[in-house]
Amino acid sequence: MTETQVQKKEKKDVDKVERTRSGRCFIPPTDIIDKEDRITVLADMPGVEQTSIDITLENNVLTIQGCVKEENPENYSLVHSEYQVGDYYRSFTLSDTIDQDKIKAKYENGILRLELPKAEKAKSRKIEIQS
Amino acid sequence: MKIKDIVPTKIRSSLKRREEENPFLTLRQEMNRLFDNFFDDFSIRPFKTPWERTYPQVNIKENDKQIEISAELPGMDQKDVDISLYNNILTIQGEKRQEQEDKEGDYYHMECSYGSFHRDIPLPSEVDASKVKADFKKGVLKIFLPKKEEAERQAKKIEIS
Repeated sequence: MTETQVQKKEKKDVDKVERTRSGRCFIPPTDIIDKEDRITVLADMPGVEQTSIDITLENNVLTIQGCVKEENPENYSLVHSEYQVGDYYRSFTLSDTIDQDKIKAKYENGILRLELPKAEKAKSRKIEIQS
Repeated sequence: MKIKDIVPTKIRSSLKRREEENPFLTLRQEMNRLFDNFFDDFSIRPFKTPWERTYPQVNIKENDKQIEISAELPGMDQKDVDISLYNNILTIQGEKRQEQEDKEGDYYHMECSYGSFHRDIPLPSEVDASKVKADFKKGVLKIFLPKKEEAERQAKKIEIS
């Protein structure tokens, strides 16, 4: 049996967005699954407050963002640091028309899961040629 | 800057490495970043720092009383992660499972990784194994390790007869 090892991806900084909050901002690694009737988006956003997650869909551009509340008690000193904590921001351009009313979002165990059902007109259909 | 800071007199364990303590490391990290940005499209990444390939990546904080180790493990819960402490080495292991239903789907973009992981972390000081606590919220694992009492540590002193 072959075991796959989890590969850590370096967090990437977002640099094209003007933000109103100070601190670092990262692009969350994301899986996108395109199915016949819907698109599923899975974004790794560990440590984000559920209430701070903001999802918008405007002109086929899907934007997700989330804030991380960094706890830094003063009497603690950082001995060793391999990852950095910061907010998450990412936007996608969708090619299909999405039924905006039926979008579902769930945040569980640090993963944001978005179900974007395709609108009726975006689904493939056969076009009859009129004679 | 003192010459002592530039010339390393002893090999520090990776745990004690701090950016500001090691100018070479800082320089190397800076170089890595430059290379990473440059080689981003070619997926060639020379001069990796030792922990860049390790998973999970951890942050270690401490105060007089306890050590706090935190790691980002999105997509897992308590069942998937196993933490053990032996000989002052903390082991974190587990597996991130890919949802079965998704495999049948039509992937066209995949960035998250799945699989098993194992990590040993040598602790910087003696801890009280019976009082170790851990919590796992929002994909962030936090382990609190209370340090052993001063008295207990001193009791380990060995006299030469």
